[in-house]
Amino acid sequence: MKARFIVSPVLCIGCRTCELACAFAHAIDGKLGKSRIYPIDGGFKELWVPVTCLQCEEAACVKSCLVNALQRNPETGAVELNQEKCVKCMACVAACPFGCSLLDEQHELVVKCDLCGGDPACARFCPTKALEYKPIKGSPKKIAV
Amino acid sequence: MIRITINGKVTQASEGETLLKVIRREGIDIPALCHHEAVEPYGACRLCMVEITKEEWNGWSKYVTSCLYPVEPGLIVKTHSTKVIEMRKTIVDLYLARHPNCAEIQQLADEYGVTKTSYQTVVDGDNCILCGICTRICDEMGFHAISMVGRGHGKVVAPPLDEAPANCTGCLACAQNCPTHFIEFEDKGNSRTIWGKKFEMITCEKCGKTTITKEFADYLAEHRELPREYFNICDECHRRSTALDMGRIASWSKEVK
Ligand code: SF4
Ligand code: SF4
Ligand code: FES
Repeated sequence: MKARFIVSPVLCIGCRTCELACAFAHAIDGKLGKSRIYPIDGGFKELWVPVTCLQCEEAACVKSCLVNALQRNPETGAVELNQEKCVKCMACVAACPFGCSLLDEQHELVVKCDLCGGDPACARFCPTKALEYKPIKGSPKKIAV
Repeated sequence: MIRITINGKVTQASEGETLLKVIRREGIDIPALCHHEAVEPYGACRLCMVEITKEEWNGWSKYVTSCLYPVEPGLIVKTHSTKVIEMRKTIVDLYLARHPNCAEIQQLADEYGVTKTSYQTVVDGDNCILCGICTRICDEMGFHAISMVGRGHGKVVAPPLDEAPANCTGCLACAQNCPTHFIEFEDKGNSRTIWGKKFEMITCEKCGKTTITKEFADYLAEHRELPREYFNICDECHRRSTALDMGRIASWSKEVK
Protein backbone atom coordinates (compact mmCIF):
# COMPACT_ATOMS: atom_id res chain seq x y z
CA MET A 1 0.00 0.00 0.00
CA LYS A 2 1.49 3.30 -1.07
CA ALA A 3 -0.94 5.79 0.38
CA ARG A 4 -3.61 6.19 3.00
CA PHE A 5 -7.02 7.82 2.85
CA ILE A 6 -7.59 10.21 5.73
CA VAL A 7 -10.88 11.77 6.77
CA SER A 8 -10.85 14.81 9.11
CA PRO A 9 -14.46 15.64 10.02
CA VAL A 10 -13.39 18.82 11.85
CA LEU A 11 -12.40 20.32 8.50
CA CYS A 12 -15.55 19.31 6.61
CA ILE A 13 -17.90 22.20 5.79
CA GLY A 14 -20.66 20.00 4.35
CA CYS A 15 -20.35 21.41 0.83
CA ARG A 16 -20.92 17.96 -0.72
CA THR A 17 -18.34 18.53 -3.45
CA CYS A 18 -16.93 15.06 -2.74
CA GLU A 19 -20.34 13.51 -3.33
CA LEU A 20 -20.57 15.15 -6.72
CA ALA A 21 -16.98 14.28 -7.63
CA CYS A 22 -17.59 10.65 -6.72
CA ALA A 23 -20.80 10.44 -8.75
CA PHE A 24 -18.99 11.91 -11.76
CA ALA A 25 -15.98 9.65 -11.32
CA HIS A 26 -18.28 6.62 -11.40
CA ALA A 27 -20.55 7.62 -14.26
CA ILE A 28 -21.51 4.89 -16.72
CA ASP A 29 -22.59 5.69 -20.27
CA GLY A 30 -22.90 9.36 -19.43
CA LYS A 31 -25.18 8.72 -16.44
CA LEU A 32 -23.94 9.68 -12.98
CA GLY A 33 -23.00 6.83 -10.69
CA LYS A 34 -24.20 6.59 -7.12
CA SER A 35 -21.86 8.47 -4.81
CA ARG A 36 -19.90 6.27 -2.45
CA ILE A 37 -19.33 9.13 0.00
CA TYR A 38 -21.87 11.09 2.06
CA PRO A 39 -21.15 14.16 4.18
CA ILE A 40 -23.71 13.76 6.95
CA ASP A 41 -24.64 16.02 9.84
CA GLY A 42 -22.50 14.86 12.75
CA GLY A 43 -25.04 15.86 15.39
CA PHE A 44 -23.23 19.01 16.51
CA LYS A 45 -23.51 22.53 15.18
CA GLU A 46 -21.41 22.99 12.08
CA LEU A 47 -19.95 19.55 12.27
CA TRP A 48 -20.15 17.31 9.27
CA VAL A 49 -18.82 13.82 8.82
CA PRO A 50 -17.95 12.59 5.34
CA VAL A 51 -19.04 8.96 5.69
CA THR A 52 -17.22 6.67 3.31
CA CYS A 53 -15.56 3.28 3.23
CA LEU A 54 -12.39 3.15 5.29
CA GLN A 55 -11.33 -0.14 3.71
CA CYS A 56 -11.48 -2.11 6.99
CA GLU A 57 -8.80 -4.66 7.55
CA GLU A 58 -11.26 -7.38 8.55
CA ALA A 59 -14.04 -6.14 6.35
CA ALA A 60 -17.62 -7.27 6.95
CA CYS A 61 -18.40 -6.92 3.24
CA VAL A 62 -15.60 -9.31 2.29
CA LYS A 63 -16.74 -11.82 4.91
CA SER A 64 -20.35 -11.60 3.78
CA CYS A 65 -19.68 -12.21 0.09
CA LEU A 66 -20.28 -15.87 -0.70
CA VAL A 67 -18.83 -15.65 -4.22
CA ASN A 68 -15.62 -13.72 -3.45
CA ALA A 69 -16.61 -10.73 -5.52
CA LEU A 70 -14.99 -8.42 -3.00
CA GLN A 71 -11.22 -8.46 -2.93
CA ARG A 72 -8.48 -6.16 -1.75
CA ASN A 73 -6.32 -4.44 -4.29
CA PRO A 74 -2.84 -4.72 -2.75
CA GLU A 75 -1.64 -1.63 -4.63
CA THR A 76 -4.24 0.81 -3.30
CA GLY A 77 -5.46 -1.07 -0.24
CA ALA A 78 -9.05 -0.66 -1.43
CA VAL A 79 -11.55 -3.49 -1.19
CA GLU A 80 -12.82 -3.63 -4.75
CA LEU A 81 -16.11 -5.08 -5.91
CA ASN A 82 -15.80 -7.18 -9.05
CA GLN A 83 -18.93 -6.20 -10.94
CA GLU A 84 -18.78 -9.27 -13.20
CA LYS A 85 -18.66 -11.67 -10.26
CA CYS A 86 -21.25 -9.96 -8.07
CA VAL A 87 -24.54 -11.87 -7.96
CA LYS A 88 -26.43 -8.94 -6.40
CA CYS A 89 -27.45 -10.83 -3.27
CA MET A 90 -27.17 -7.63 -1.18
CA ALA A 91 -25.33 -9.44 1.61
CA CYS A 92 -22.55 -6.84 1.75
CA VAL A 93 -25.01 -3.94 1.65
CA ALA A 94 -26.78 -5.44 4.65
CA ALA A 95 -23.59 -6.44 6.46
CA CYS A 96 -21.43 -3.30 6.38
CA PRO A 97 -21.80 -1.69 9.82
CA PHE A 98 -20.92 1.70 8.31
CA GLY A 99 -23.39 1.48 5.44
CA CYS A 100 -20.70 1.82 2.79
CA SER A 101 -21.76 -0.94 0.41
CA LEU A 102 -24.58 0.50 -1.63
CA LEU A 103 -27.11 -0.29 -4.29
CA ASP A 104 -26.84 1.96 -7.33
CA GLU A 105 -30.51 1.79 -8.33
CA GLN A 106 -30.08 3.55 -11.65
CA HIS A 107 -27.39 1.21 -12.95
CA GLU A 108 -28.73 -1.79 -11.01
CA LEU A 109 -25.34 -2.49 -9.51
CA VAL A 110 -23.98 -3.04 -6.04
CA VAL A 111 -21.15 -0.54 -5.50
CA LYS A 112 -18.59 0.58 -2.97
CA CYS A 113 -15.61 2.94 -2.75
CA ASP A 114 -12.65 1.73 -4.80
CA LEU A 115 -10.40 4.70 -3.97
CA CYS A 116 -10.80 5.44 -7.67
CA GLY A 117 -8.03 2.98 -8.42
CA GLY A 118 -5.48 5.09 -6.55
CA ASP A 119 -6.48 8.71 -7.24
CA PRO A 120 -9.61 9.42 -5.20
CA ALA A 121 -11.74 12.07 -6.90
CA CYS A 122 -13.32 13.16 -3.60
CA ALA A 123 -9.96 13.99 -2.03
CA ARG A 124 -8.84 15.76 -5.19
CA PHE A 125 -11.85 18.08 -5.11
CA CYS A 126 -12.30 18.59 -1.37
CA PRO A 127 -11.71 22.35 -0.87
CA THR A 128 -10.76 22.13 2.81
CA LYS A 129 -8.58 19.01 2.87
CA ALA A 130 -11.09 17.20 5.05
CA LEU A 131 -10.36 14.31 2.72
CA GLU A 132 -6.77 13.49 1.90
CA TYR A 133 -4.94 10.69 0.20
CA LYS A 134 -1.44 10.79 1.57
CA PRO A 135 1.56 8.76 0.50
CA ILE A 136 2.89 6.49 3.21
CA LYS A 137 6.54 7.05 3.88
CA GLY A 138 8.62 4.16 5.12
CA SER A 139 7.08 0.96 6.38
CA PRO A 140 3.32 1.27 6.74
CA LYS A 141 3.44 -0.79 9.93
CA LYS A 142 5.34 1.93 11.75
CA ILE A 143 2.73 4.59 11.17
CA ALA A 144 0.87 5.66 14.25
CA VAL A 145 -2.87 6.01 13.79
CA MET B 1 2.23 -13.44 -21.07
CA ILE B 2 0.77 -15.13 -24.11
CA ARG B 3 0.36 -13.44 -27.48
CA ILE B 4 -2.70 -14.24 -29.51
CA THR B 5 -4.41 -12.61 -32.48
CA ILE B 6 -8.10 -11.75 -32.37
CA ASN B 7 -9.77 -10.54 -35.56
CA GLY B 8 -6.39 -9.51 -36.94
CA LYS B 9 -5.25 -7.64 -33.85
CA VAL B 10 -2.41 -8.95 -31.70
CA THR B 11 -3.13 -8.90 -27.99
CA GLN B 12 -1.70 -10.13 -24.68
CA ALA B 13 -3.33 -12.67 -22.42
CA SER B 14 -2.22 -14.42 -19.27
CA GLU B 15 -1.80 -18.13 -18.82
CA GLY B 16 -5.01 -19.89 -17.82
CA GLU B 17 -7.35 -17.18 -19.06
CA THR B 18 -10.20 -18.25 -21.28
CA LEU B 19 -10.65 -16.93 -24.80
CA LEU B 20 -13.97 -15.35 -23.86
CA LYS B 21 -12.30 -13.23 -21.20
CA VAL B 22 -9.76 -11.90 -23.64
CA ILE B 23 -12.36 -11.34 -26.35
CA ARG B 24 -14.47 -9.30 -23.94
CA ARG B 25 -11.48 -7.35 -22.70
CA GLU B 26 -10.86 -6.38 -26.30
CA GLY B 27 -14.36 -4.93 -26.34
CA ILE B 28 -15.66 -7.46 -28.85
CA ASP B 29 -19.30 -8.37 -28.37
CA ILE B 30 -20.20 -12.05 -28.71
CA PRO B 31 -23.20 -13.69 -27.08
CA ALA B 32 -22.46 -15.84 -24.04
CA LEU B 33 -25.78 -16.65 -22.43
CA CYS B 34 -24.65 -19.33 -20.02
CA HIS B 35 -21.61 -17.45 -18.76
CA HIS B 36 -21.26 -15.83 -15.35
CA GLU B 37 -17.95 -14.83 -13.76
CA ALA B 38 -19.06 -16.03 -10.32
CA VAL B 39 -19.11 -19.66 -11.45
CA GLU B 40 -17.02 -22.05 -13.52
CA PRO B 41 -17.63 -22.03 -17.29
CA TYR B 42 -20.28 -24.48 -18.39
CA GLY B 43 -20.40 -24.57 -22.19
CA ALA B 44 -24.13 -25.09 -22.44
CA CYS B 45 -25.45 -22.40 -24.76
CA ARG B 46 -22.78 -22.81 -27.51
CA LEU B 47 -23.28 -19.19 -28.56
CA CYS B 48 -19.78 -18.08 -27.61
CA MET B 49 -18.36 -20.31 -30.36
CA VAL B 50 -15.36 -18.86 -32.25
CA GLU B 51 -13.04 -20.04 -34.99
CA ILE B 52 -9.43 -20.75 -34.05
CA THR B 53 -6.35 -21.66 -36.02
CA LYS B 54 -2.55 -21.42 -35.80
CA GLU B 55 0.17 -20.60 -38.32
CA GLU B 56 1.34 -24.24 -38.24
CA TRP B 57 -2.11 -25.75 -38.76
CA ASN B 58 -1.72 -25.38 -42.55
CA GLY B 59 -5.05 -23.72 -43.11
CA TRP B 60 -7.04 -25.98 -40.82
CA SER B 61 -9.25 -24.37 -38.23
CA LYS B 62 -11.60 -25.51 -35.49
CA TYR B 63 -14.64 -24.18 -33.73
CA VAL B 64 -14.54 -23.99 -29.97
CA THR B 65 -16.66 -22.56 -27.16
CA SER B 66 -14.58 -19.57 -26.09
CA CYS B 67 -15.88 -19.63 -22.51
CA LEU B 68 -14.17 -22.99 -21.95
CA TYR B 69 -11.10 -22.64 -24.14
CA PRO B 70 -7.87 -21.56 -22.44
CA VAL B 71 -5.55 -19.26 -24.38
CA GLU B 72 -2.54 -20.80 -26.11
CA PRO B 73 0.47 -19.08 -27.64
CA GLY B 74 0.01 -18.25 -31.30
CA LEU B 75 -3.76 -18.71 -31.47
CA ILE B 76 -5.43 -16.85 -34.30
CA VAL B 77 -9.07 -16.20 -33.39
CA LYS B 78 -11.98 -15.08 -35.51
CA THR B 79 -15.11 -14.13 -33.60
CA HIS B 80 -17.28 -13.21 -36.56
CA SER B 81 -16.14 -15.30 -39.53
CA THR B 82 -18.82 -16.30 -42.04
CA LYS B 83 -18.84 -19.85 -40.67
CA VAL B 84 -19.07 -18.72 -37.04
CA ILE B 85 -21.97 -16.42 -37.80
CA GLU B 86 -23.68 -19.21 -39.69
CA MET B 87 -23.32 -21.54 -36.70
CA ARG B 88 -24.54 -18.90 -34.26
CA LYS B 89 -27.52 -18.27 -36.51
CA THR B 90 -28.45 -21.95 -36.43
CA ILE B 91 -28.28 -21.99 -32.64
CA VAL B 92 -30.35 -18.82 -32.38
CA ASP B 93 -32.82 -20.35 -34.82
CA LEU B 94 -33.20 -23.39 -32.54
CA TYR B 95 -33.58 -21.23 -29.46
CA LEU B 96 -36.25 -19.22 -31.22
CA ALA B 97 -38.22 -22.38 -31.94
CA ARG B 98 -37.93 -23.53 -28.33
CA HIS B 99 -38.55 -20.15 -26.65
CA PRO B 100 -40.60 -18.12 -29.13
CA ASN B 101 -41.83 -15.65 -26.51
CA CYS B 102 -38.51 -14.95 -24.83
CA ALA B 103 -37.56 -11.27 -25.24
CA GLU B 104 -33.81 -11.88 -24.86
CA ILE B 105 -33.86 -14.63 -27.51
CA GLN B 106 -35.95 -12.44 -29.82
CA GLN B 107 -33.39 -9.66 -29.46
CA LEU B 108 -30.54 -12.02 -30.26
CA ALA B 109 -32.45 -13.32 -33.27
CA ASP B 110 -32.90 -9.73 -34.42
CA GLU B 111 -29.18 -9.08 -34.09
CA TYR B 112 -28.34 -12.14 -36.15
CA GLY B 113 -31.02 -11.47 -38.72
CA VAL B 114 -33.10 -14.53 -37.88
CA THR B 115 -36.58 -13.19 -38.53
CA LYS B 116 -38.44 -16.47 -38.29
CA THR B 117 -37.45 -19.87 -37.00
CA SER B 118 -37.02 -22.60 -39.58
CA TYR B 119 -38.00 -25.30 -37.08
CA GLN B 120 -41.30 -26.21 -35.56
CA THR B 121 -42.19 -23.81 -32.76
CA VAL B 122 -42.82 -25.23 -29.31
CA VAL B 123 -46.28 -23.97 -28.49
CA ASP B 124 -46.24 -23.79 -24.71
CA GLY B 125 -42.49 -23.22 -24.43
CA ASP B 126 -41.32 -21.36 -21.32
CA ASN B 127 -38.44 -18.88 -21.14
CA CYS B 128 -35.94 -21.02 -19.26
CA ILE B 129 -33.00 -21.65 -21.62
CA LEU B 130 -31.44 -24.17 -19.19
CA CYS B 131 -28.20 -22.22 -18.95
CA GLY B 132 -27.78 -23.39 -15.35
CA ILE B 133 -26.60 -20.01 -14.10
CA CYS B 134 -29.14 -20.06 -11.25
CA THR B 135 -28.34 -23.57 -10.05
CA ARG B 136 -24.60 -23.05 -10.35
CA ILE B 137 -24.70 -19.77 -8.43
CA CYS B 138 -26.87 -21.38 -5.76
CA ASP B 139 -24.32 -24.20 -5.43
CA GLU B 140 -21.41 -21.76 -5.40
CA MET B 141 -23.03 -19.83 -2.54
CA GLY B 142 -23.33 -23.09 -0.67
CA PHE B 143 -27.12 -23.44 -0.58
CA HIS B 144 -27.82 -26.17 -3.18
CA ALA B 145 -31.49 -25.27 -3.00
CA ILE B 146 -32.35 -25.78 -6.68
CA SER B 147 -31.08 -28.06 -9.39
CA MET B 148 -31.75 -29.37 -12.90
CA VAL B 149 -34.42 -32.03 -12.77
CA GLY B 150 -35.39 -34.50 -15.50
CA ARG B 151 -33.90 -35.02 -18.95
CA GLY B 152 -34.40 -34.01 -22.54
CA HIS B 153 -37.69 -32.21 -23.15
CA GLY B 154 -38.67 -32.55 -19.52
CA LYS B 155 -35.58 -30.90 -18.09
CA VAL B 156 -36.40 -28.05 -15.71
CA VAL B 157 -34.90 -26.11 -12.84
CA ALA B 158 -36.65 -26.96 -9.61
CA PRO B 159 -36.21 -27.50 -5.88
CA PRO B 160 -36.03 -31.12 -4.70
CA LEU B 161 -39.41 -32.88 -4.93
CA ASP B 162 -40.88 -29.58 -6.11
CA GLU B 163 -41.38 -28.60 -2.51
CA ALA B 164 -40.35 -25.34 -0.84
CA PRO B 165 -36.57 -25.88 -0.54
CA ALA B 166 -35.35 -26.10 3.04
CA ASN B 167 -31.90 -24.74 2.12
CA CYS B 168 -33.11 -21.66 0.28
CA THR B 169 -32.43 -18.45 2.21
CA GLY B 170 -34.29 -16.19 -0.19
CA CYS B 171 -31.13 -14.31 -1.25
CA LEU B 172 -32.62 -13.90 -4.73
CA ALA B 173 -29.30 -14.45 -6.51
CA CYS B 174 -30.92 -17.00 -8.86
CA ALA B 175 -33.63 -14.60 -10.00
CA GLN B 176 -31.28 -11.61 -10.20
CA ASN B 177 -28.89 -13.39 -12.53
CA CYS B 178 -31.25 -15.34 -14.78
CA PRO B 179 -30.43 -14.05 -18.28
CA THR B 180 -34.07 -14.33 -19.36
CA HIS B 181 -35.70 -13.15 -16.12
CA PHE B 182 -37.61 -16.38 -15.93
CA ILE B 183 -37.48 -17.00 -12.19
CA GLU B 184 -40.46 -15.53 -10.43
CA PHE B 185 -40.51 -14.03 -6.98
CA GLU B 186 -42.64 -11.60 -5.06
CA ASP B 187 -41.59 -8.92 -2.60
CA LYS B 188 -44.60 -7.62 -0.75
CA GLY B 189 -44.58 -5.63 2.46
CA ASN B 190 -42.07 -7.36 4.65
CA SER B 191 -42.31 -10.76 3.03
CA ARG B 192 -40.68 -12.39 0.04
CA THR B 193 -41.81 -15.48 -1.81
CA ILE B 194 -39.60 -17.53 -4.12
CA TRP B 195 -39.62 -21.21 -5.09
CA GLY B 196 -42.85 -21.59 -3.14
CA LYS B 197 -41.17 -20.56 0.09
CA LYS B 198 -42.18 -17.52 2.08
CA PHE B 199 -39.61 -15.42 3.93
CA GLU B 200 -39.80 -12.65 6.44
CA MET B 201 -37.66 -9.64 5.56
CA ILE B 202 -35.60 -7.67 8.02
CA THR B 203 -37.11 -4.25 8.52
CA CYS B 204 -34.67 -1.55 9.61
CA GLU B 205 -35.12 -0.85 13.31
CA LYS B 206 -34.77 2.87 12.69
CA CYS B 207 -36.56 3.68 9.44
CA GLY B 208 -38.55 0.55 8.63
CA LYS B 209 -36.99 -0.07 5.21
CA THR B 210 -36.76 -3.76 4.26
CA THR B 211 -33.31 -5.19 3.56
CA ILE B 212 -32.55 -8.93 3.19
CA THR B 213 -34.43 -11.96 4.50
CA LYS B 214 -34.01 -12.96 8.14
CA GLU B 215 -32.91 -16.39 7.02
CA PHE B 216 -30.14 -14.99 4.84
CA ALA B 217 -28.90 -12.74 7.67
CA ASP B 218 -29.00 -15.67 10.11
CA TYR B 219 -27.00 -17.76 7.65
CA LEU B 220 -24.37 -15.04 7.13
CA ALA B 221 -24.05 -14.42 10.87
CA GLU B 222 -23.61 -18.11 11.57
CA HIS B 223 -21.31 -19.09 8.71
CA ARG B 224 -19.30 -15.95 8.08
CA GLU B 225 -18.54 -14.81 11.62
CA LEU B 226 -20.59 -11.66 11.40
CA PRO B 227 -22.40 -10.23 14.41
CA ARG B 228 -26.12 -10.69 13.81
CA GLU B 229 -26.85 -7.16 15.08
CA TYR B 230 -25.02 -5.69 12.07
CA PHE B 231 -28.15 -6.60 10.13
CA ASN B 232 -30.63 -4.78 12.34
CA ILE B 233 -30.56 -1.47 10.48
CA CYS B 234 -30.37 -0.50 6.81
CA ASP B 235 -27.33 0.94 5.04
CA GLU B 236 -28.60 4.49 5.17
CA CYS B 237 -29.22 4.36 8.92
CA HIS B 238 -25.80 2.74 9.34
CA ARG B 239 -24.27 5.78 7.61
CA ARG B 240 -26.24 8.15 9.80
CA SER B 241 -25.16 6.42 12.99
CA THR B 242 -21.56 6.37 11.75
CA ALA B 243 -21.75 10.14 11.28
CA LEU B 244 -23.12 10.59 14.79
CA ASP B 245 -20.44 8.36 16.34
CA MET B 246 -17.62 10.03 14.46
CA GLY B 247 -19.21 13.42 15.11
CA ARG B 248 -19.10 12.82 18.83
CA ILE B 249 -15.43 11.94 18.66
CA ALA B 250 -14.62 14.84 16.35
CA SER B 251 -16.44 17.27 18.66
CA TRP B 252 -13.82 16.62 21.33
CA SER B 253 -11.20 18.18 19.09
CA LYS B 254 -13.39 21.00 17.84
CA GLU B 255 -14.89 23.58 20.09
CA VAL B 256 -18.59 22.95 19.72
CA LYS B 257 -20.92 25.76 20.55
S1 SF4 C 1 -23.98 -8.12 -3.48
FE1 SF4 C 1 -22.30 -8.83 -4.80
S2 SF4 C 1 -20.43 -8.14 -3.79
FE2 SF4 C 1 -22.10 -7.97 -2.28
S3 SF4 C 1 -22.03 -9.91 -1.16
FE3 SF4 C 1 -23.50 -10.23 -2.84
S4 SF4 C 1 -22.28 -11.05 -4.51
FE4 SF4 C 1 -20.82 -10.23 -3.05
S1 SF4 D 1 -12.17 7.56 -3.28
FE1 SF4 D 1 -13.33 7.61 -5.17
S2 SF4 D 1 -14.82 6.01 -4.84
FE2 SF4 D 1 -14.04 6.47 -2.85
S3 SF4 D 1 -15.44 8.01 -2.01
FE3 SF4 D 1 -13.76 9.08 -2.96
S4 SF4 D 1 -14.48 9.55 -5.03
FE4 SF4 D 1 -15.79 7.94 -4.21
S1 FES E 1 -21.14 -18.90 -22.87
FE1 FES E 1 -19.87 -20.42 -23.74
S2 FES E 1 -21.25 -22.00 -24.15
FE2 FES E 1 -22.54 -20.51 -23.21
